[in-house]
Amino acid sequence: MLVLAEFHWGWLLAAGILGLLMGWVGVVQRGGGLSKRGLQSVAVILALASVSAFARIVPGKFGYWLDLGLVMFALYFLGCAVGAWLRDLLVADHRSVPKS
Amino acid sequence: MRTVLRVVRKWWPGLIPLALLWGLAAWFNTVPFETDLASRTALSLRETILDKTRVEAAGRDLTLSADAFSEEGRRSSIAIAEAVPGVRLVHDRTRIIDEAKPFVWTAERNVSRLTLSGNVSLPAVRTRLTEATRGISGGVEVADQMAFARGVPQRFEAAALLLLEQLGRLRDGKVAISDTSVRLSGIARDLGGREAIAAALKNLPEGFTVAENAVSAPPYVFQVNKDPVAVTLTLNGYVPDNAAHAALLEAAKRKFLNEKIVDNLKASVGAPSGFANAATAALGALSRLSTGSLMISDREVKLSGDAFYEVAAEDIRGGLGGELPQGWRVNTEVSVRPPASAVDATVCQQLFSELLALGKIRFLSGQANIDNDSRGLMDRLVEIALRCPTSSLEIGGHTDTDGDEEGNMRLSERRAQAVLDYMMRAGLPADRLQAVGYGQTQPVASNDTAEGKAQNRRIEFTVR
Repeated sequence: MLVLAEFHWGWLLAAGILGLLMGWVGVVQRGGGLSKRGLQSVAVILALASVSAFARIVPGKFGYWLDLGLVMFALYFLGCAVGAWLRDLLVADHRSVPKS
Repeated sequence: MRTVLRVVRKWWPGLIPLALLWGLAAWFNTVPFETDLASRTALSLRETILDKTRVEAAGRDLTLSADAFSEEGRRSSIAIAEAVPGVRLVHDRTRIIDEAKPFVWTAERNVSRLTLSGNVSLPAVRTRLTEATRGISGGVEVADQMAFARGVPQRFEAAALLLLEQLGRLRDGKVAISDTSVRLSGIARDLGGREAIAAALKNLPEGFTVAENAVSAPPYVFQVNKDPVAVTLTLNGYVPDNAAHAALLEAAKRKFLNEKIVDNLKASVGAPSGFANAATAALGALSRLSTGSLMISDREVKLSGDAFYEVAAEDIRGGLGGELPQGWRVNTEVSVRPPASAVDATVCQQLFSELLALGKIRFLSGQANIDNDSRGLMDRLVEIALRCPTSSLEIGGHTDTDGDEEGNMRLSERRAQAVLDYMMRAGLPADRLQAVGYGQTQPVASNDTAEGKAQNRRIEFTVR
């Protein structure tokens, strides 16, 4: 996995930054976002993909692409979480300043 | 938790550019990643003992094809490939090389090539055998047609190296190992090579036996080439010993006139009986050719070239066989060189004088018989006489002052007559020839010294 990260670091960084931006703007996005069912479907797909990757049942290039996709998604998700947290942190700081 | 899920639900729009990034990463990086993985694996496997190794990558999965030399080596190569960072799965296409029964190895030498074939146990052994073969090749091509196999007998490499050393002593031939049996055949390069090989085979590693040693000795070769353009007489090959060597060189100097002798002869044992007599007789026949070569191989004499005139050619063809020792065979390919253009009496006289300045007609001591060593000179004198068909020739015999005057006169007459008879047998008409004996009456040098006497004992030709 380390080799995968080392070889694709540029793409993974891009996925992380994308996540960071998405996490930042996601907080103030209008609308309800993904439905509950949609979220469940995504979770199931991710679970299946992860199991397939760990079980190494997808052969050759497809297996490699699956691993790459999962790592990129993980970094995207992490970026989203960090972005949202930063936003929340900064907005919280702003609210805590007393009005004069 | 509900708050977290509410936030997470809003992250989905980023999945679209993420999918795009994923596709681009896969598009640009798959082939470089596979190449990198395959080359790193091949590098890791460099220290392992494998043959025909091939590593193919499909994503993070490898297909390893190779011929292994043992089960342990096969397993260890798979383990090494699996341990390469980034590798996910290794598809094992390795196999263990077949066992050869019997384990056969051969090395064969001919004029243009040294060929190694049969079975060999390991790449390192193969390399060492190939290098040893290059060491004995003398510049000829080395062809490696060996194939890996299991079942090698103990100490195989030592036996093979010893046999390769022996192959270096062969002009052409073959050495072979079949399990622990050794076979050799061919012709030794040098005289004594066969004996050296037989001695070396006693040092074969323990367990190996000589099933057949059919190495034969090379023919005993003596070769002489007469080159009229370079005016050289080149002697190659073998002579029995230094005494025979000196005797043959002396005979060559007597029989040939002004040819420069190039002596490349080597003393060696193994000469056939009667060699010295046969070589001397054959040299005499060669001296009668204007250009030619002589080849003695064991007991076979081959003489080829151009005689000065037809009678001489017939004489050489029929005479040499009778001069050779019993059991010797002769093969002559003697033709007659084209006759030279006719010349007038003055030129003819000049040609006689020039030729006799190079050498004198020799006779047996106190007798009128022409020495066999002078037959080459006689043929050249006949050829000159044939070039001036309109002139008459006086053959004058002269002696030194040793002995009584009357006896010397008779001896000089008989010697002049012997030369005349030789020329008549060669086809010159008797009415053009006249033999005259001058005895000791016309000296050309002082008779007080041995050197002067030698100059006075002579035959002269006067063209009229």
